[in-house]
Amino acid sequence: MKALQIAATGMAAQQTRVDVISNNIANMSTTAYRPRVAQFSDLAYQQVLRPGTITSQTGTVVPAGIQIGTGVRPSTVSVSLTQGSLRATGGELDLGIDGIGYLEVSLPSGESAYTRDGKLNRSPEGELVTMDGFPLADGIVIPEDANGITISRDGEVVAFFDDQTDGQPIGTISLVRFVNEKGLEAIGDNMFRETEASGDANQLVAGTEGVGDIRQGFIEDSGVDVVKEISDLIEAQRGYELNSKVITASDEMLAATTRLR
Amino acid sequence: MPVSIYASLGRQEGLLREMEVVANNLANSSTVGYKSDRAVFAEFIVSGGRDAPSVSMGGLGGHAFDLTQSNLAFTGSDFDLALQGEGYFLVQTEAGERLTRAGHLQISSEGQLIDSNGNPVLDAGGGTIDIPPTVEHLSIGSDGSISVDGILSGEIGIVLPNGQILRDSNTYFSAPDGFEPAEGATVIQGALEQSNVSPVLEVSRMIEVQRAYEAGQALLEREDQRLSQVISAVRQR
Repeated sequence: MKALQIAATGMAAQQTRVDVISNNIANMSTTAYRPRVAQFSDLAYQQVLRPGTITSQTGTVVPAGIQIGTGVRPSTVSVSLTQGSLRATGGELDLGIDGIGYLEVSLPSGESAYTRDGKLNRSPEGELVTMDGFPLADGIVIPEDANGITISRDGEVVAFFDDQTDGQPIGTISLVRFVNEKGLEAIGDNMFRETEASGDANQLVAGTEGVGDIRQGFIEDSGVDVVKEISDLIEAQRGYELNSKVITASDEMLAATTRLR
Repeated sequence: MPVSIYASLGRQEGLLREMEVVANNLANSSTVGYKSDRAVFAEFIVSGGRDAPSVSMGGLGGHAFDLTQSNLAFTGSDFDLALQGEGYFLVQTEAGERLTRAGHLQISSEGQLIDSNGNPVLDAGGGTIDIPPTVEHLSIGSDGSISVDGILSGEIGIVLPNGQILRDSNTYFSAPDGFEPAEGATVIQGALEQSNVSPVLEVSRMIEVQRAYEAGQALLEREDQRLSQVISAVRQR
């Protein structure tokens, strides 16, 4: 009896949805986290009686036929691209991105990763690094004797020193954008990697071509809307229960069959 | 010939199938753009042979989709489109052009507008839709016109099938008799059409199917007892 397997695919799909929702809720305070949404699509149809089958010599055909579906599968878990709100922290090295760009980070393997988490720090060598200590690909080193830095909206980093009134430009933080942001591969630690689907990273000056501005002293909050997640969770739980009811009903039908003799 | 057994078997067979239809509907109760299925039972006449009356049997004769529009869930994403009214988006798949109501779109790495299965979405002229990589704001009007940063750059294809439609996987439908541009549909940006499966309806159908099946089994059991009584009565003579 196929209804059992079909209901099992339904339960598995709702289970995936709960997994995605629980990860969203777990990350409700993660800097620059973007909530994921699971999307589903129906599986192939079994053609029991194909529509268009000829039923007589005068050419009459079966109008609708019998096509029986075989269940559901998760099609994508896509990132929703709504920007989290920018929260003022006043931190000198806190960068919020007001737009769709990403910061480029150099991983120890030499590869590049991309992040919207602009909570930066200084390494012992004065380099600008992420919370995990990976340097920004722009390679900005803050001189040891600098007593303050400003980062403009277009990413220009200026260092100030005790003995000079004017600041000195020490580099520029650029932003990167992708043709298909949803195609980025999440690798954890708020970082993403480029893929075939995302297209190549396009490095741009902040504030140009829609990539967004850099805002010093701000941090992007998590984009998770907890109310929405909880209502989705309720829906997923009820969906799971409904599918389990199908399994119970199918089981009772099978039991009715076996009771015959 | 004990025709009552066979008449009942046809229905039992159909009820098992209907249960699969209900299971598939419930499994797809969260699938965007899914249209629920209905099993349709039909009568057919079987000749009872010479000198015997013909017998009316019931069995699963076909199925129908419930194409009513479902409620829209607002997502706020520029790339989520829903259709209000009759119409379908047009998608180019490997197997040919397909119709769908699921409008969860993305941009491919080549800059084409694609659906969640990676197939390109077609415009009103049947061509693919290219979105420039520098897009800041994609806006799709209620008539399907696509504007990129305020500049009109195409129109998304919305069609109506000329005749019946067949179901394919991935919430696609195929239109063997072709299709024509739809006039009555409006596009709503930032929303997705949810599955039109009604859990209440499906659960009540499920109960109905289950009880009808059990009733059928009881009938078979009675018939079996009746036959064995006949046989023992004949033996005793």
